[in-house]
Amino acid sequence: MDKSHEPFAGLARASPERPIDAERAAELTTLIDRLRAGRIDRRSFLRRSCALGLSLAAGQMLLGALATTAAQDTAPRRGGTLVAGFSADPAGFDPVRGPSGMSHVVIEQIYSTLMALDPDAKPYPELAESYDVSADGLQYTFKLRPGVLFHNGDELTAEDVKFSFDRLRAKDSGYSYGAQVETIAGVEVIDKYTVQFKLSKRTGPFLIYMAFPGSSIVPKKLVESGHDLNATPIGSGPFKFVSYQPRTAIKFERNATYFQEGKPYFDAMEYRIISDITALTNAVTSGEINFSNEIPPKDWAAVQSNPDLVGVTLEGSRYNWLLANTTKPPLDNPKVRQAVAHAIDREALVKGAFFGQATPILGGVVPQWNWAYADIQYFKPGGDPAAAKALLAEAGFPDGFETSMTIASSFPAQMAMAPIIQANLAAVGIKAKIGTMEIPRYWDEVWSTSNFDITTMYWLSPLADPDDFLTNNYKCDMAINVQKYCSKAMDDLLEAAKTAATEAERKELYRQVTQLSLDEMGQVPLVNGWLLIAHAKALQNYKPMRTGFLKTLKDAWFAG
Amino acid sequence: MPRTAGAAAALAATKRRPAMFRLIALRFAIFVPTLFAASIVLFIAINVVPGSAAKAALGIDATAQAIARFEAQYGLDRPLHVQYLDWFGKALKGDFGTSFQNHVPVGPEVLLRLPVTLELAALAFLIANLIAVPLGALAAFHHQRKTDAAITFLATVFGAIPNFWLATLLILVFALTLRWLPAGGYAPFGAKPLTNLSQMAMPAVSLGVVSSALLLRIMRTAMIEVLASDYIRTAFAKGATRAVVIWRHAIRNALIPYLTVGAVEFGFLFGGVVIIEDIFLLPGIGSLVLVGIINRDYPVLLAAALVVTVVVLTVNMLVDIVASLLDPRQVRAKAAT
Repeated sequence: MDKSHEPFAGLARASPERPIDAERAAELTTLIDRLRAGRIDRRSFLRRSCALGLSLAAGQMLLGALATTAAQDTAPRRGGTLVAGFSADPAGFDPVRGPSGMSHVVIEQIYSTLMALDPDAKPYPELAESYDVSADGLQYTFKLRPGVLFHNGDELTAEDVKFSFDRLRAKDSGYSYGAQVETIAGVEVIDKYTVQFKLSKRTGPFLIYMAFPGSSIVPKKLVESGHDLNATPIGSGPFKFVSYQPRTAIKFERNATYFQEGKPYFDAMEYRIISDITALTNAVTSGEINFSNEIPPKDWAAVQSNPDLVGVTLEGSRYNWLLANTTKPPLDNPKVRQAVAHAIDREALVKGAFFGQATPILGGVVPQWNWAYADIQYFKPGGDPAAAKALLAEAGFPDGFETSMTIASSFPAQMAMAPIIQANLAAVGIKAKIGTMEIPRYWDEVWSTSNFDITTMYWLSPLADPDDFLTNNYKCDMAINVQKYCSKAMDDLLEAAKTAATEAERKELYRQVTQLSLDEMGQVPLVNGWLLIAHAKALQNYKPMRTGFLKTLKDAWFAG
Repeated sequence: MPRTAGAAAALAATKRRPAMFRLIALRFAIFVPTLFAASIVLFIAINVVPGSAAKAALGIDATAQAIARFEAQYGLDRPLHVQYLDWFGKALKGDFGTSFQNHVPVGPEVLLRLPVTLELAALAFLIANLIAVPLGALAAFHHQRKTDAAITFLATVFGAIPNFWLATLLILVFALTLRWLPAGGYAPFGAKPLTNLSQMAMPAVSLGVVSSALLLRIMRTAMIEVLASDYIRTAFAKGATRAVVIWRHAIRNALIPYLTVGAVEFGFLFGGVVIIEDIFLLPGIGSLVLVGIINRDYPVLLAAALVVTVVVLTVNMLVDIVASLLDPRQVRAKAAT
């Protein structure tokens, strides 16, 4: 269960210096009761809780937690249809195919996984009742819940689990996330409800991989009989697939035999595909649809002022970075890349391109909410032109240099950042000429061919594991490492961190990775754009997820 | 009055049946080669546009292997003429391939979307005509007077408005502020007629108003010309009432040039649906063309563009036939060529 249900859990985290003793806790409880009964207002609550030794932040946090608890007080209500809008069309519904993020937000509703991620991206057992890891970390044994049914009525057993992973691991399976299953040496069925994974080496993010939509468990018997999951997906998830009209809509209905009794609460869901983002926003603000997690930052104020909508923000992992081509002089010089990195006013980017709805990245790319966050304050939020100029002089370019910046015109945030970055660079003597290109051309002529001096891009990690954040960005020859950064030291550190025995060891190694990533400036981190979600006021108990996924929709309901 | 006119036309048509048949046969004969030529032009155009289909479909983290696998799967690694012949051969059998983006067959999707676009274009065309014919005629009657100037000015304004701008304005006023109409969406007319019309209203007006500009001017000019002709003066001289002259002689004759331009305008309308459908979330051919372009989804784009070509060719053919019913001289002239 998510910790935010428990008001004191958040408190203990917020002010570790003053643990709450029993007496003060009792007083607090009285205060909370009075607040709930409406006998005191929020302001007096804050004042009095401060008097009890709570920091203002902790008090506000408590108020926030209470708001959630208040929502919890009303019992979940069955019924209604969630109509959510998305800009992309899914690329199939078979977990082994579905190479796109849009496929995954469909797949996660229809299928279940051994593990699942909570809103803070921590794994918990889903289809598994419990799991056991051997001391050497090479053997994971999952005990399955008995009586879980696929939508066709078959029971989900260890055989289905083995089948699903053998299918992903098969040669030429075409699975886009093959790296996630490459350390699985074998999957063994111990008994009907017990399945064991043998790994070829320690795999730090293994449980996170088990929660990834690609790792969904598919019905063995059905698939072997020739059923096409891509056309009609069948899983054991909270919602059953009803229909898909290409580029228009995907319809789901409630799975009455879902193993979490009583859930889901909606009778049905519909994902509408609205490729134009302005039209999507209009659809939300006019009430045509009642959920969207793709609100553009420029429309956020309008969403918040709309009395029929609730706006929810959360920092996830939507990095925006600047890529300086490490094969092109003078950007092949780490000092020059550092100069570029220091020149940028990240606060201006947050304000100018994200309308305040982003966090400036002041150190490495692992965000602060993640367990592997390395608290390295490397950049000044407003930029450090003096440091940039000094670095340029050191590198032999006291007067700067001329370069170019190619931006994909289809991404509004990238387009909005470009002139700010250009001005920041100009202030330290780097004259960058901006060129723009429509996205298919950009992928073809700029991105995949590394044909640029400087470009910017954003990427969303669907895994929320530090390995995913860092390996994709910094390991030699990774698909999104188009700046061609390559360092043996970095690759070794990344491998060591991924295969380390404990989380503490991993955390220390990721701190070293982060430090190295800044020393060599393999790419220039800019800002982390928040998830911006708008939904109808009637929607209750919806908890946004750091990964941007929508698994928690099964826990939400519409108020009567 | 119009009934007698129609009956007379039908009677006249019976008399010149052989010529009419020749015209229709001729139209059909050039229909197929035109389509073939259009498909070649489209195929080439799509392939010379920069951007790779595989990279567009696979996106940011496409690996070289994934791109190669994709291109092999869809036969994109073959020479262009081989790709075209393969596509054309299958298209003749009704197989338009599968979308690069969602891996779903394209043919059925296009057929499913066609009624949406046809309805939108028809409604928009209706609105355009409802504006253009009466206003155009009115302007002609009041030629070189204030009413004429006002209507001509209005036509200029209509013609200058981009339809997507008008669409956005309509959404702002009627959907987001007044909340009278839905901002977008689609329900089939057969299932929910009222919802369907409320959803079609703004897109049809956005397209229709802009299209009316040219039609209005044509109507006005044609009417002015007709009203100045000898037979109108003769009709008045013979003591015919104003209504008889206008309905029986003037409008019918003015409609001949009007129809030909109208057919061309209908073709433009079909092109205009690309952006308008996208704005109003209508799942028609237009929005399909757009996603086809954005994603370099060639099978989708080809099938959608070909359907548009077929519709435009058909409309032109029908208009030729109708025009010849209204003006017997056209049959002889066109059949002779």
